[in-house]
Amino acid sequence: MITDRQEELASLHAFGLLEGAEGAAFVVELAGNPELRTLCDSLAGAAASLALAAPPVEPPAGLKDRILDAVAAPAGDNVVAFPLHKFAPWAVAAALAVAATWFANQNMALRNDNLTLRNERQLAEVAYKMTQNQLAERSLLAEQMITDLGRQLRRADDLTRLKVTALASLAGNTREAQVIAVWNPEQQTGLLTMEKLPALADTQDYQIWIVDPAYKDPVNGGVFHAGADGRVTLGFKPDQPVKQAAAFAISLEKRGGVPKAEGPIVLLGK
Amino acid sequence: MTPAAPVAADDGAQAREQAALLAAMARGDKSALARLYDSLGRPLYSLAFRVTNDAAEAQDIVQDVFLQLWQKATAYDTSRGSVFSWAATLTRNRAIDRVRMRKRRTELLAGAAAELQPAAPAGDTDSAASLWLREKAGAVRAALTGLAPDQQKAIELAFFSGLTQQEIAAKLNEPLGTIKARIRRGLLKLRETLPSRL
Repeated sequence: MITDRQEELASLHAFGLLEGAEGAAFVVELAGNPELRTLCDSLAGAAASLALAAPPVEPPAGLKDRILDAVAAPAGDNVVAFPLHKFAPWAVAAALAVAATWFANQNMALRNDNLTLRNERQLAEVAYKMTQNQLAERSLLAEQMITDLGRQLRRADDLTRLKVTALASLAGNTREAQVIAVWNPEQQTGLLTMEKLPALADTQDYQIWIVDPAYKDPVNGGVFHAGADGRVTLGFKPDQPVKQAAAFAISLEKRGGVPKAEGPIVLLGK
Repeated sequence: MTPAAPVAADDGAQAREQAALLAAMARGDKSALARLYDSLGRPLYSLAFRVTNDAAEAQDIVQDVFLQLWQKATAYDTSRGSVFSWAATLTRNRAIDRVRMRKRRTELLAGAAAELQPAAPAGDTDSAASLWLREKAGAVRAALTGLAPDQQKAIELAFFSGLTQQEIAAKLNEPLGTIKARIRRGLLKLRETLPSRL
């Protein structure tokens, strides 16, 4: 069933007067409506017949020949002759164009390669500097580690050189006393730890002696006074350089000590 | 002995002959193109000249149309209309495109008001095809003049001027809806009056 509106649109369509959205919508409608399609075809035929209403004008005499000349040959054999001497300049131009294109491509490729290499070089330089810094840091760290290790070794060496001696009681009143002497030959210092050492009268002191074969008499290590609890920890330093601490001794001397041992040796250790 | 006067072929025979010529063109028969030009060259040129009002443009258009018919002959679909309708539509569309492209609207508006001119006096070849065309041209003109004057004017402007709907309405100083209705009624009446296939 064709409506008046469809007839109107089909009439306008026959004259090519439908434009824009209106024309597009009608084409869509036309595609799905065979009856409307038939109407359009018949109206288009009627519209085309109006061509005959144009005042007749005789075409120029040469128009027919012009058209027939333009149609050189059947579509399948429509081959245009092209003499070789005319082809040569085109061939040269084509070759030049191809060569220019090839060179342009090569140039572009080389530029890209160069840019890539530059980038790689810059990256390599950065990586090299980073590695250098890392190596420098590691070198410094290793140096510190070596230094620390050396110190530790020296300390260990020093410890091995320390002389540790337990002193034994030589007198009846010091039988329960426990005395240990540690001697550092490098620093020429020593340390005494004592427990249950008998207390002394105010007129007496204990005096430390280091026996060194290099000296005829034991070297004086200083005096100390034991308190009521019998505990004493003290460092001592001989008044002469000791080359070899062969033994340690503690004597009972008068208050303030003596340059050369006079009183009884109460403790002795080698 | 006097040669027999040519007799105009009937519509169906003309349509079949033109379709056969187109089929021969599709096979590369150049002589078929020459014969089709003899049959359609004059009305197509007249149409192009009527639309463009320019002889040089009309020649270019007709040449382009026949070249297209030559190249597209294999694509012709007989179910969609006659060869004449196809060629006339191609010619009109190209002519209107040129008119619009060259912005010669003012000149054309003046020319569009011209009354249809009477057919050219006989002097062309009296072939069967030309006789047929002459008869059909007379029939079309008669059908056109049989329309109400306002419908005839709207139809002429719609077909020959290349104006849009709105421009036709402005040209005739009528509402757009009125122009659409006149075109519809006028074309439907032409379809009833004219033979189905030219």
